[in-house]
Amino acid sequence: MNHALYIAKTGLEAQQFRLAAISNNIANANTYGFKAGRAEFNDLIYQNVRQPGAQATQDEANTLPSGLQLGTGVKAIGVQKIHTQGNIMVTDNQLDLAVEGKGFFQTLDQDGNLMYTRDGSFEVNQNGDIVTSSGYLLEPNINVPQDATEISITSDGAVFVSQPGNVGQNQIGQIELATFINPAGLESLGKNFYAETTASGAPNINNPDTAEAGSVLQGALESSNVNTVEELIGMIEAQRTYEMNSKAISAANGMMQYLNNNT
Amino acid sequence: MDRMLYVAMSGAKEVMLSQANNSNNLANANTDGFKKDFNIFRAQHMEGPGQHTRTYALDERPATDYTPGAIKVTGRDLDLVTRGDGFMAIQTPKGDEAYIRTASAQILPNGDMVDVSGNPVLNEGGAPINVPPYESIAIGDDGTITIVPAGAQGNQQVVLDRLRLVQPDVANLYKGLDGFSRQREGSPELNQASVAVVSGALETSNVNTAEALVNMIELSRQYELQVKMMATSKNHAQKSDSLLSVR
Repeated sequence: MNHALYIAKTGLEAQQFRLAAISNNIANANTYGFKAGRAEFNDLIYQNVRQPGAQATQDEANTLPSGLQLGTGVKAIGVQKIHTQGNIMVTDNQLDLAVEGKGFFQTLDQDGNLMYTRDGSFEVNQNGDIVTSSGYLLEPNINVPQDATEISITSDGAVFVSQPGNVGQNQIGQIELATFINPAGLESLGKNFYAETTASGAPNINNPDTAEAGSVLQGALESSNVNTVEELIGMIEAQRTYEMNSKAISAANGMMQYLNNNT
Repeated sequence: MDRMLYVAMSGAKEVMLSQANNSNNLANANTDGFKKDFNIFRAQHMEGPGQHTRTYALDERPATDYTPGAIKVTGRDLDLVTRGDGFMAIQTPKGDEAYIRTASAQILPNGDMVDVSGNPVLNEGGAPINVPPYESIAIGDDGTITIVPAGAQGNQQVVLDRLRLVQPDVANLYKGLDGFSRQREGSPELNQASVAVVSGALETSNVNTAEALVNMIELSRQYELQVKMMATSKNHAQKSDSLLSVR
């Protein structure tokens, strides 16, 4: 059958995959702590249609100088998360935290497994525990007393509260951040959470402001690092390349149609 | 049967192969770092007894086009592009060196620096690069890899290694069946060259889509010509048959 058809099909699939990745980025352009993903591609293997150096004729001296190797198309390798810092947006909310650096907040899911997030829009639940906006406990757990009037969090992650009748502030906990040698290898769980994988390596737990964890900013959130202009350009690229590949399919189809109608 | 049918048929078949190659270039129009393949037809004369009347066309891939693609800025520290006619080196699964102009490098948990398909990026000595835990990493203009080790202060930079950067003669490069670009056998050894590296950017494919589309139209029309010749030869055969038919 016609090679060109199948090769162009891989092109269409790749562009569709890229468009899906771009759409996801644009959809999450305003998601706190979201990291953009980039579709990565590779060319597929080549087929040897004619070996270079094969004989062209019966005369042994007459060999093919370059032969013909035919590519077989393109393959999507996956979506790579780009873990660059997003913008810091000041919200002045006491429990909004942004990480400036490579660290992730640690949270516990309902089964007690660790999940990691860059989204620091924390709240207090009915028991006074600090939880994420989706209700998962911060790890290590920090409990805010019922009568606390003000919470202040230092850049190295120490959490203090002011209580009536107390001069000064009491420390009620310490936020710890996890870093990974290869954050791109983390598995995205959705809801802004990531899970550790063999590719990401084990988490390295440190207090903020030490090692590579980065510092914590109170009263601010990290916006997504999606560059919308770049995504829109990517969208144009993907769409046009998709169209060209569908033209290639039409061309291959036209060739076969012509053959069928004219012989 | 007229021999022209076979000449036209092989012409149509070779055009189809060329169309497939052109489709492969188009399919990879968005593949970062992809280099497009040239495709030419070569006249292949039929040797043998009798009159020398037939010359077939053979479709070939004589070389790959190593001209640079466009640079797109990504801002990611480990996205690398070499400038000018320089190349970086990676280790293929076969264990030999292949040359690339752009890499979206990653650091694995064991510290190995690899490209997006997991092939180790090589250092000056031609060995895979291993990076200890770091706070930040930067790749300089000359391919020097500098890190701030984990737990160190921001001003304690350590020069770790240097990328293997080479300036091969692109005439000696060829793309193998696995898609990696290597030097042809017998090419001169490549020494470390002074090649500029840009980090935070990637090189797009160098497929010229307009050219590829025009090519596609041209090949389609050529194919139709060949098929027309096949139809013509069928006509010839019919006419000669009718001459012989008894009224």
